[in-house]
Amino acid sequence: MSILTDISENLQKGKAKIVKELVQQAIDQGIPVQQILDEGLLAGMSVIGEKFKNNEVFVPEVLVAARAMNMGAALLKPLMKEAGVEAVGKVCIGTVKGDLHDIGKNLVKMMMEGKGLEVIDLGTDVPPETYVQTAIDQGCQIICCSALLTTTMGMMEEVVKKTEEAGIHDKVKIMVGGAPVTQTFCDQIGADCYTADAASAADAAVSICKASA
Amino acid sequence: MVTITVNGTVFPVEPGARLSDCLPAHAAPETPCGGAGRCGKCRVVARGCLSEPSPEELRALSPAELARGVRLACCTRVLGSCEVFSGASAPAFILGESEALPAPAPMFGRVGAAVDVGTTTLAVCLYGPDGALLAQAGKMNPQRRWGADVISRIEASRRGEREALAQAVREGINELLAELCAGAGLAADAPDALVITGNTAMLYLLTGADPDCLAHAPFEADRLFGETLTGADLGLCCPGAAVYLPRCISAFVGADTATALLAAGLTEQPGVHLLADIGTNGEIALWDGHTLSCCSTAAGPAFEGAGLSMGMPGRAGAVDHVTLENGRLNAHVLGETEAEGICGSGVVDALACLLAAGDLDESGLLDPEPAQICGKVFLTQKDVRAVQLAKSAVAAGIVTLTHASGAEPDRVDSLSIAGGFGSYLDVKSAGAIGLIPEELVPRTRILGNAALRGAAMLLLDRTLQARCESTARQAVTVDLASSKVFFQAYTDCMFF
Repeated sequence: MSILTDISENLQKGKAKIVKELVQQAIDQGIPVQQILDEGLLAGMSVIGEKFKNNEVFVPEVLVAARAMNMGAALLKPLMKEAGVEAVGKVCIGTVKGDLHDIGKNLVKMMMEGKGLEVIDLGTDVPPETYVQTAIDQGCQIICCSALLTTTMGMMEEVVKKTEEAGIHDKVKIMVGGAPVTQTFCDQIGADCYTADAASAADAAVSICKASA
Repeated sequence: MVTITVNGTVFPVEPGARLSDCLPAHAAPETPCGGAGRCGKCRVVARGCLSEPSPEELRALSPAELARGVRLACCTRVLGSCEVFSGASAPAFILGESEALPAPAPMFGRVGAAVDVGTTTLAVCLYGPDGALLAQAGKMNPQRRWGADVISRIEASRRGEREALAQAVREGINELLAELCAGAGLAADAPDALVITGNTAMLYLLTGADPDCLAHAPFEADRLFGETLTGADLGLCCPGAAVYLPRCISAFVGADTATALLAAGLTEQPGVHLLADIGTNGEIALWDGHTLSCCSTAAGPAFEGAGLSMGMPGRAGAVDHVTLENGRLNAHVLGETEAEGICGSGVVDALACLLAAGDLDESGLLDPEPAQICGKVFLTQKDVRAVQLAKSAVAAGIVTLTHASGAEPDRVDSLSIAGGFGSYLDVKSAGAIGLIPEELVPRTRILGNAALRGAAMLLLDRTLQARCESTARQAVTVDLASSKVFFQAYTDCMFF
């Protein structure tokens, strides 16, 4: 079995320590950084993402797999910079103002990182202005808004408005999600993309970033 | 006006009205998601001049169902004459006490009523001044038409329905009072004192206070009650009655928890004791001998039967208990009829049995999938995931509170389970699936409607008011959203 398959399989089992050791070995063997990332770490997360979408694995498995991925990715990061490897795209994500629920948002973040996207986590209770300012300052292609409550999801419309006002909506797409959010709601408020689960959100984000590249 | 024919009877309706808003009460289906088109529980068969199926309906209904004329009542608008068939029937509700209570210092002279305004059900007990239980009755909370959960109702209040919500629950209480008084040979205005308990949002919506502050961060209630109004203030049928609303603990932990604590006598005891009210929201309280700490955890509607593919409330046709006999599932159906669906207690039992049979692994993977429970009733992988989220929210709440108070989990002396769902729960199954810590199973007791019992105790002994209020005032609220311990426990507790 190749070391990259080994990384992928251990990542799927959430064996963070082993993943870290294997990634170091792969680096030492001179395997290109991009290849370790794509065929090792991201390949493993992609399997987990698919299984999550099909209800075969659940939140805990995703969390431990993501932890393993992050341990491996931490070793690759400085080398990627040297090698000039670029992320697939850049996204900022947060739970909207008035809402403190972040488990769904964290899942989406992990899935997106698992697809090779750079994700800036704005946390919870995020004012509309913060999304827009971060997108401008950091050059994000996507703003992702999460809400768990019907009483707070209205805040997503404010994010769309602020993005319009800042004149960046042609460059920055807005993705919305969370238990009460629907495609109809997404269309109503003029957001660009809704998905029903975290794995699909990551797939959609990659498509958006590729389209805008 | 156009006419719709509902189960054979003709009604006039404004064109453009949603079916869920215009069906008569006896035929109106449950709308647990508040009419957002998400839960698919308001299926009716409707034909005629109707709006095209919405995207929500296309997702929720199979092509075969659509071809048969199945629609979601909350998504379908009446455009002209049409015919509707709805099989809704009234679900069962939990009643309170069965015996007299001590009455050392009643709040009333003639007759008093203890009322529990639950998110799902209303329950009323009528007492004589000697503490004798004169009559009791319950019914669904009429506010259910605005949604099964608290947040949908607060949202409705924000849309300008605040008066209508207050009116609905007040009418519900009045109907029960009138029924009980008539049964006891009294006039409807006979009660001279009432104690009305309920969660914080229910008391806001009963008094007509603006509940907006309960629905967004920082989630701080601007009114915690612990006050005495009159029947007239609340538009009740006994305008002269004194109406005591017990004090709530926080925006999430209401007067119902305060009165349940009183009934459980938790804070009177030495040692470490837990109380949990498991419903759409799980309220959990821990007394460590000195301090009371509380939290509220969002379990979601899975235990109320909503949100599961074949979930239903605990009424005739619901699988309510499942046992494993010689490796085969053996299901009990409420009303001894054919199984139509499964209610919360049935789901907990079923998962415990599937675990024991090896059809469900510790990660929650179901194989074979779906699992047949009884006749046409199945549980799917998605159902199992919904229950994992729900049970983990409750279990992690218990772990976090125990951790925050510095108590060791094995030092907890007792767990009391209050509330409607808990009344039917098999404690062993609850331990087996990890809804409650397994080591607490032998020390767990089921209280039934403890909130209502506590309200009755306040009604019959006015000196308890001060104690109940001071307990509520001193309780420490543990915020789960920002707790690292909770997040870790929440993921750990998802396993079986």
